[in-house]
Amino acid sequence: MAVFDTPREAFGALRPACVRLTRAQTAENVWRLAARLAAVSGPALQELQEYVLFPLRFALRAPGPRRERLVQSAVRCIASVLAATAVRRPELLRELLSELCACLGPGPGPGPGAPAPPAEDVKLAVTEALHTLLHSASGDVVLSLYQPSTLPLLGFAVSLLLGLAEQERAKQLKVSALKCLQVLVLQCDCPEHQPLGDDEAQQCGDLFASFLPGISISLSRVVTGDIKQGHKPTVSAIRLFYLVVGLVMADAQLARVPKSKEKLPEKQSRISELMVHRGPDWSKSTAEKLSLLLHKMVEFSSVHPHWKVRLELVELVHHLLRNCSHSLGDSFTHLLKALVGLVNDESSEVQSRCNEVLRGIAEQRIIAQSRALADVLSENLHSLATALPRLMSSQDDTGKVSTLSLLLGYLKLLGPKINVVLNSASHLHRLSKALMQVLELDVTDVKIVEDRRWGCEGALQPGVQKGRCQKKYFRFFTEEKVFQLLQQVCRVLGYYGNLYLLVDHFMGLYSESATYRKQAAMVLNELIAGAAGVGVDVLQEREVSPNVDDLKGSVTSILDEYTDQANWYLITSIDTEEVSHEQRAVHHTGLPARAGGVCSTVLLPSPEPHATTRTMNSNIWQMCIQLEGVGCFAAVLGKEFRLLLLTALYPVLEKAGDKTLLVSETALGTLADMCEACGYGSVQLLINDNSDYLVNGISLGLRQLAQQPRASRVLDTMLRHSDASLLPLVEDVIQDVLSTLDQCYNSQASTFLRVLHSVMAALDEVPHLGKPEPNNCDTEGEAPLPSHAQLAKDVLERCIHLLSDRSLRVRLKVLDVLELCVMVLHPHGNHLLPMAHRAWPALVTRLIGDDPLAVLRAFKVLCTLAQKCGDFLRQRFSRDVLPKLTSSLLSQAPASARAGPVYNHTLAFKLQLAVLQGLGSLCEKLDMGESDLNKVADACLIYLSAKQPRKLQEAAQSVFLHLMAVDPDRTWLLLTETCCPHGYEPPHVSLRPVKLGGMGRQRHELTDNVLLLLERLRQRESAAQESPP
Amino acid sequence: MALPPPDPQFVLRGTSAAVHTLHFSCGGQEPDVPILFSGSENGFIHVWNLKTHRVDTALDGHGRKSVYCVETMGDKTRLLSQGRDQRICLWDLAEGRTAVTDSVFTENVGFCRCSLLTVAQGRWLMAMAAKALEEVQVLELPSKTSVCTLKPEAGAKLGMPMCLKLWQLSSGSQPLLLAGYEDGSVVLWNLSMGKPLSQLACHQEPVMSLDFDSEKTKGISGSSEKVLSIWSLNEQQNLQVYKTHNLVNAGISDITIRPDKKIVATAGWDHRIRIFGWKKLKPLAVLDYHTATVHCVSFSNHKNPRERLLAAGSKDHRISIWSIYTQT
Repeated sequence: MAVFDTPREAFGALRPACVRLTRAQTAENVWRLAARLAAVSGPALQELQEYVLFPLRFALRAPGPRRERLVQSAVRCIASVLAATAVRRPELLRELLSELCACLGPGPGPGPGAPAPPAEDVKLAVTEALHTLLHSASGDVVLSLYQPSTLPLLGFAVSLLLGLAEQERAKQLKVSALKCLQVLVLQCDCPEHQPLGDDEAQQCGDLFASFLPGISISLSRVVTGDIKQGHKPTVSAIRLFYLVVGLVMADAQLARVPKSKEKLPEKQSRISELMVHRGPDWSKSTAEKLSLLLHKMVEFSSVHPHWKVRLELVELVHHLLRNCSHSLGDSFTHLLKALVGLVNDESSEVQSRCNEVLRGIAEQRIIAQSRALADVLSENLHSLATALPRLMSSQDDTGKVSTLSLLLGYLKLLGPKINVVLNSASHLHRLSKALMQVLELDVTDVKIVEDRRWGCEGALQPGVQKGRCQKKYFRFFTEEKVFQLLQQVCRVLGYYGNLYLLVDHFMGLYSESATYRKQAAMVLNELIAGAAGVGVDVLQEREVSPNVDDLKGSVTSILDEYTDQANWYLITSIDTEEVSHEQRAVHHTGLPARAGGVCSTVLLPSPEPHATTRTMNSNIWQMCIQLEGVGCFAAVLGKEFRLLLLTALYPVLEKAGDKTLLVSETALGTLADMCEACGYGSVQLLINDNSDYLVNGISLGLRQLAQQPRASRVLDTMLRHSDASLLPLVEDVIQDVLSTLDQCYNSQASTFLRVLHSVMAALDEVPHLGKPEPNNCDTEGEAPLPSHAQLAKDVLERCIHLLSDRSLRVRLKVLDVLELCVMVLHPHGNHLLPMAHRAWPALVTRLIGDDPLAVLRAFKVLCTLAQKCGDFLRQRFSRDVLPKLTSSLLSQAPASARAGPVYNHTLAFKLQLAVLQGLGSLCEKLDMGESDLNKVADACLIYLSAKQPRKLQEAAQSVFLHLMAVDPDRTWLLLTETCCPHGYEPPHVSLRPVKLGGMGRQRHELTDNVLLLLERLRQRESAAQESPP
Repeated sequence: MALPPPDPQFVLRGTSAAVHTLHFSCGGQEPDVPILFSGSENGFIHVWNLKTHRVDTALDGHGRKSVYCVETMGDKTRLLSQGRDQRICLWDLAEGRTAVTDSVFTENVGFCRCSLLTVAQGRWLMAMAAKALEEVQVLELPSKTSVCTLKPEAGAKLGMPMCLKLWQLSSGSQPLLLAGYEDGSVVLWNLSMGKPLSQLACHQEPVMSLDFDSEKTKGISGSSEKVLSIWSLNEQQNLQVYKTHNLVNAGISDITIRPDKKIVATAGWDHRIRIFGWKKLKPLAVLDYHTATVHCVSFSNHKNPRERLLAAGSKDHRISIWSIYTQT
C-alpha cells in the first residue's frame, strides 16, 4: 500500500518529518516519521536509507539524560527502516552496530550515582533492531564485520548480549538476546543465510575462539539457571552453545590451524594480542574446560522437565559428535551417556530423535572408526558393569529402567566392539553377576505348585497355542519394561558377542550353583535368540553372522545340559506316586534324559528329603525356562532342528504329560514351536514322523526302574497321537512294557496299566484288519492271531494277575483294561474264551466281595464279555455269582429300609447300589434263563419299596426296566401280582374274569414304583406296536 | 563299586526281520555321515544314517534271501554282500546309486561268511566256502580270478568250513587264511602253497566264529558250546591253545576283536553281548538288551576313539548301538 513509489515522491513526503526530528528529538517526532515511512515503498526507501537514518541515529546520540521513550521509538523506527532496506555499506553496518550496542549500555546520564540501566522495553527493542540489522546487511557486508580489526566491536556486542541473556529476568528478552547472538556468530538458522565457506568458517572460528570462554561459560550458566525461566531460553542457549563450540572446536578447522600464530600487520599488534591461536595446546585445555561445562549442562538438562530441552540436548550431542568427536573426546563420556539414556525418554519425540541419532552414529561407523570413542564407550560400559550389581539391588524399577537402558545403549553403540569388554573376565563376571541378581525369580507363589493338570492325561490339543513365554515374576522388579530391557541386553550380547565365550560362561554359571541356574538358563535362551538375530533391535548390522553349524553346536551343548538327568528331573510336586519314583530315579542312576546312556554314570546328590513349596516352585520355573529354551532353539534353527529331535523330542514330550499345569502347558508350547520350526503341521505329525526316536527313548527308559513312569507317560502321550500306521513300532515297544511289567508287578503296576489302557484303547480303534474268525469256529485250529490281537491277549494275561491287586486303583484300572482287551479280542472267540475262563475266578471275587466301585466296573466288564461269550458265562454266572448276589440283596434289604440318611454313606449301601445298578444290564446281556430272572426279580422287588433309600429304588427300577426288555410279559405279570391298578373285564361273558394278585389291594409301599414301571411298560408296548420291527 | 551295565546308546528298529550282519563305515571326515550297514533275513541291506538313526536306503539284491555278510571295499561307496541265494554281490553306492555291479555265484549252501582282505589299492582277496562242501576258494577282486582252492587232505574229516579270516602279518606280506570247521578245529592255510600249515582242535562242536589279532598273533573262537577258545600262533606257525574260557550259557554266534585290540565282544545265543578284555580275557560287561539270539557284533571305525561304537544285531529284529569303554 505504498503511496510513494519513487525516491522523489518519498523524499518529498519524508523530508518534513526528518527535518522536524532533527530539530527536536522527541518520541512524537519519531512516530511521525515512522508513520510517514509506512507509506514509502521499499525501493524508494532504499535510496533514502541513510538520509532517513540520520535523524534517527542523531536522536539516539542526543545529549543529555537518556529519554527512554525516545530511544525506544527511535530504535524501533531504525529497525523498521532496516527491515525494508538493505545495508550496503560496511561502515554503516559497523556504525549502526556500535550505536545500537551503545544503547544497551548504561547511558551517559548526568544523574547522581550509578547510571540507570535502560529499561527492558528498550533492551528488547535494541536486540530486535540488532537482529534486523544483521539480517539487513547483505553477505559481503556482513563478512566485512568479521575481521580482526572489528574484534573489539564484536566482543563488545557479544558481551552485552550475553549479559542480557544471563542476567535479564524477562524471558522474551533473554530469548531475543540469544537469537541475536546466534545471528552475530553467523549461525542463524533462517533460510536466507548461505552456509559459510570453509575459509570463511575458518576465519570466523579464529575470531570466535576469543569469545569462546565467555560465551560458553555464560551460556552454561543460562542452561543450568533457574528452571523457572522456562524452556525457551534454555533451548536457545543449548543450541547456541553447540553451534559456537561446534564451529570453534570443529575437528576439520583445528586440523587446518597452522602450527604457529600468523603475524598480523604491525598496526594491528594490539588486536593481534586479542586473537587466539587454536593450536593443540589451546584446543586441549579448552576441551578440558568445555568438558566440565558440558558435564554440568548434561547433568542438568538430561533431567529437565521440559522435553524440548532434552530434545535439544540430543541435538547437542549429535552436533558435537559430528563435528568435534576428536577435539572433545573426553566429553563424550557424559555426552554418550546422556544420549543413550535418552533413548527411553518419556517423550516419544525425544525417543525417536535419539534413536535416529544413534542409528546415524552407528551407520556412519563413528564409533568403529574412532578409537577414542570406542574407548570412551567401553570405559563407560566398564564402570557401569562395575556398578551394575549394586544398582540392580538398590534401585527401584524406574531406576532400573534407566540403568538398563543405559547398559543396552552402550552395548548397541559398541556393536561388534562388545567383545573387547567381554574378553575382560572381570567385566564379564560383573555383567553376568548383575544379570543373575536382577533376574532372580520370585518363587513364593504356592499356586504354581498347586495348579495341577487334570482330565485326560497327555492329551495335546491339535492346535496348541504357539509357545509363548510364561509370565514370570521376579523378586527385584515388577515392571515388564525392566524384563524387556534385560531380554534385549542378552539378545544384543548374543547378536554381537562371541557366542562360544558367552555360552561357555553362562553354562558355567548354570552348573555352578542352583541359585543361578534359572537366570543363567534365561540368559542362555536369549543369547541364542540374539545370536540368530531373532527379536533383537540393533543399530548396526554385525559384520559376520554366525553360521548354522556354530549355532547348532552351541544349541546342542546347551540342550545336552538342559536335558541332563540332574537338570531335567526335578521334584515339582509332592504327588506321592510321582515323588517316590522321582526320588528313586535320582538314587538309582544318572542317565541323561535323552535316549541312550553312556556308561559314565554320574552319582547325583540325593534330593532334599522334604521338598519345600519354594524349591518346588523354583524347580517348576527352571523346567519352564528350559522348555522355553528348547522351543526358542527350535525356532532359531528351523528345519535344522530336525536332527536334534533325536535328543529333544522325548524329554519335551515327557514334560507335556507332567502333572504340574505350568510345566505341561509350557511343554505344549515348546512342542508347537518344534512343529513350526521343523515344518510339521501338527503335534500329531511331529510325533508320528519321529515315533522311532520316541520308541527308542521309551524302550530305553523302560529299562530303568526310575524312568519307567516317565517312559510310560511318553508312550501314553504318543499312543494318543498316533494312528494305526505306527502299530508295528508300538507293538515292538509294548513287548518291552509287558516284560518290564512282568518284573515288577508290585511297584509299577498302576503306571503300566495306564499305558496298557492307552494301547488297548488305540488297538480297539484300529479297523480290524483281515477277516474276523467265524463265531463258532471250534473246529478251527490255532490260526495265528493278528499281531494286535496277540498283543491284546498278552495284555489280558497280565490283567488276570493284576485283578487281585491290593490297590483299589489298580484293580479298577485293570478292569478297564480288561474290558478293552475283551473288545479287541472279540473277533477271535477261540482265543477269548480260554482267557475268559482263566479270568473268571478273579472276576467273580470282584463281583461279590469287592469295593462297590470295583463291583460296578466288574459288572461292566461282565456285560462286555457277555456280548461275546454269553452261553459260556451264563452258566457260570448263575452258578457262581447270582446266588450270592441275590441272597446278599435280600438280607440287606431290611437294614436299608430301616436306615436313616447316614446310611447312604455306608459301604453296604454302595454295594447294594452297585449290584442293583449292574444286575439289570447283565441279565439282559447274558440272556438269562427263567429261573435266574425270577431270582433277580424276587431279590429286587423289595427294593421298589418306598421305604428304601431313593437311589436304591431307582436302581431297582432300572433292573426291572432291563427285565422288561428281556421278557415283558413275565415282568408285567410279576408286577401286577404286586399291584394292579386296572380291572380287566373279559371281552366275553363266557370267559372267566381275570384275577390278578395285585388287584384291589390297598396302596402299600411298593405301589408307587410298580405303577410307574407298569406305565413305562405300557408305553414301551404301545411304541413297539406303532413301529413294528 | 562297579558301574551298572550300561544301556544301549540307541536302538535301531525297522529291519522287520532278524539281523544277521553289521558293518560300520564311519571313517570319513565331516560332512560325511557315519553309516552302518545291516543285512537281514528278509534279504535287505539297510543303510543306516548314524546321525539321524534312520534308514537312508534299503538295498534289495539277494532275492529276499537272508543276507549274512556285508563288507565295505575301501570307502562306503563300494559294498560286498553275501546272501543265502548263493551269491556274493558287489555294489556301487556312489552318488546315490544302488546298483549291483558284479556278483559271484558261490554255489555253496552253507552260511559261512566270506572274508575280505585288501592287498593293494583297489585289489582285494576274498575267501569263501566253495561248492564242494569242505573246500574254501580264494578269489581276487574285482577281477574274480581264482587264486587258489584250499582242499583238506583226504580223510581229514574237517567238515564244512564255518568261518573264515584272511589276514597278513604286515602289509605286503604273505596272506594267510584261518578257517574254522564243522568238527571244531581251526586250520591255518598257506594260500600260495594251498596247504594247511597248522591245525588245532579247539572245540567239540562246529566253530561258529573266530577273530584273529595279527599283532599278538592270537585268535579267539566260539562255538555252540559253553566255551571260548583262545589260541596263539607261534613262530613256527603252529597253532596252540592258549586258554579257554567257560561261559554260563552255550552258543556264540559272532566274535569280534575291537580294532584297537583292547576288547573283544561276543554275540550270544543267550541274547546277551559279552565284553572281555582281550589281553587276559577278563570279563568286563554283559550287555543285556536283546530278547532273542544275538547274531552279530561289530565295532565302528570312527577316527576319534571316543566316538567308537559297538553294534549288535539280533533275531529280535533290533540293532543295539552301544558306546562302551571308549576311554580305555
